[in-house]
Amino acid sequence: MSIATLSIILLVLLFAFLGSGLWVAFSLLGVGIAAMALFSDAPLGLVMATTLWGHSNSWALAALPLFIWMGEILFRSRLSEDMFTGLSPWMNRLPGQLLHVNVFACGIFAAVSGSSAATAATIGKLSIPELSRRGYPEKMILGTLAGSATLGLLIPPSIILIVYGVATEQSIARLFVAGVLPGLLLVSLFVGYVAIWALLNRASLPTEDVRASFAEKLRRSRRLVPVILLIVGVIGSIYTGIASPTDAAAVGVVLALLLSWREGTLTRASFVDGLMGATVTSCMIAFILAGASFLTVAMGFTGIPRVLAEWIGSLGLSTFTLLAALTVFFVIMGCFLDGISVVVLTASVIMPMVMQAGIDPLWFGIFLVIVVEMSQITPPVGFNLFVLQSLTGRDILRVAHAALPFFFLMIVALVIIVVFPGIVTYLPNQM
Amino acid sequence: MLRRSLDFIYRAAGGLAALFILAIVVLVFAQVGLNVADKIWAALTGQGVGLTIPSYADFTGFFLAASSFLALAYALRAGGHIRVTLLIGRMPKGPRRLTEICVVTIALAMSAYATWYLGLLVLESLEYGDRSPGMVSVPLWIVQMPVLLGLAILTLALIDELVGLLAGRAPSWDGKAENLLSE
Repeated sequence: MSIATLSIILLVLLFAFLGSGLWVAFSLLGVGIAAMALFSDAPLGLVMATTLWGHSNSWALAALPLFIWMGEILFRSRLSEDMFTGLSPWMNRLPGQLLHVNVFACGIFAAVSGSSAATAATIGKLSIPELSRRGYPEKMILGTLAGSATLGLLIPPSIILIVYGVATEQSIARLFVAGVLPGLLLVSLFVGYVAIWALLNRASLPTEDVRASFAEKLRRSRRLVPVILLIVGVIGSIYTGIASPTDAAAVGVVLALLLSWREGTLTRASFVDGLMGATVTSCMIAFILAGASFLTVAMGFTGIPRVLAEWIGSLGLSTFTLLAALTVFFVIMGCFLDGISVVVLTASVIMPMVMQAGIDPLWFGIFLVIVVEMSQITPPVGFNLFVLQSLTGRDILRVAHAALPFFFLMIVALVIIVVFPGIVTYLPNQM
Repeated sequence: MLRRSLDFIYRAAGGLAALFILAIVVLVFAQVGLNVADKIWAALTGQGVGLTIPSYADFTGFFLAASSFLALAYALRAGGHIRVTLLIGRMPKGPRRLTEICVVTIALAMSAYATWYLGLLVLESLEYGDRSPGMVSVPLWIVQMPVLLGLAILTLALIDELVGLLAGRAPSWDGKAENLLSE
């Protein structure tokens, strides 16, 4: 059987599995089994067993459940209220006023949580009712929230960067640090867009006439101080090399527990809920990673990624064309698949091609995560859209339409990091 | 009776998985504490003693594997494993049930296959007396056991679901995946 025929069979099988509703992890395992059975005489069952075991016990991957748990604890705390009261006094002077609370609150929560859905849910549950009560246009409330919540994926700690790091054997600490500047870049693009939009649409915005003195502002945001310290502690200790991401995550969990204990939201029930939620989510991701690692091994036996890389290499595309093509491909995939699946499939099949083209895998990780962020707000499958739909009762297409400008802003960010790759690589190179 | 013991198994495995995550936090946090103590000691006396919990990184990995696999069945029933529900969610009741039966059968076949070969792997580790590397070395079969157990419980849970589906009951994850975040 030629490698082209085999590739097509496997691709069809993958879509059949995924489309029929077979769990993602099983779909990856299934395609791996088919690939090995059709293309090699290697002992299938044995290879599977050793891969499942070998790739699931890992020190670096242990950061995953811990960061998820930390997010779960803070999700159940009073953080979203503190965020609103603490941030809103500072936004009154900016054109767009309290709409910026969405952007900044998402940015801050993203720095303690690794998931964009959790970010959207945490910030949205308070800011949506507050902002609509004050008469901000619904489209901008939904759009800023859907767009900024995707920062959860990029600003460290990031679940998806852990997945990428483990799947492609990159340093998670370096990936985290690489995500900082692009994250800030996206925040500035979002803030800039909201401000310009507000200047052009003055009439449709309410006026906030509350003027607070500087001291009053500080007093209102004092409850944000512990969270800021938590962020600085977690990212700072990784950056300075004092702690590995796993160490930082364990400290983060303990501090998050302390924080919610001090403010009185830590109860037996919230502790158990948070821990069980983290257990389920991390099990789901670890299982997908286990399936993906088997698929990667199976793909190695078939030689498909190598042939694909050589084929792309022979086309003599410029890096820019290749990246543009990949972006389109990922965005389409992202319409139907969740971000983690996109990342693990990339690691299994596309990475050799990327390396062949001479693209820095660290830089590519950040690039990929921004594309995945875009896929969070594209219908029909976009996790942020689901969250906002369940929070507001507005249907997913309407939320997606509101988020469209932010989709384009992310494309702008992609172009910027392609033209200035230093935005990604500068900080990690200083480590 | 059978129903209750099955549910107990899934929940016990899920609870155990959670305890392993808790254990990771305790272990890693204790090591971080020792690192800090060591730094302070070094600053005071000019020389660190290198306080480490032996093989703590290895054990963190083992705990993680145990947690990930033991939670499989619990997560399955809680609708925690993601899948594409775009098509299946739009199907009328009959075809939907049929698709669910096919999907569960395929998953069951793979899960049983993986359980079998993981069993063989554990037997092999036992036979050759393989031990984990590092200062504190434990027989590998002991740390591989939770992984095997988790896969076996997942297989059991899938059989459970298949039987239920064939008897006309709705799968246990029905309606749970979508409102995952509305809690």
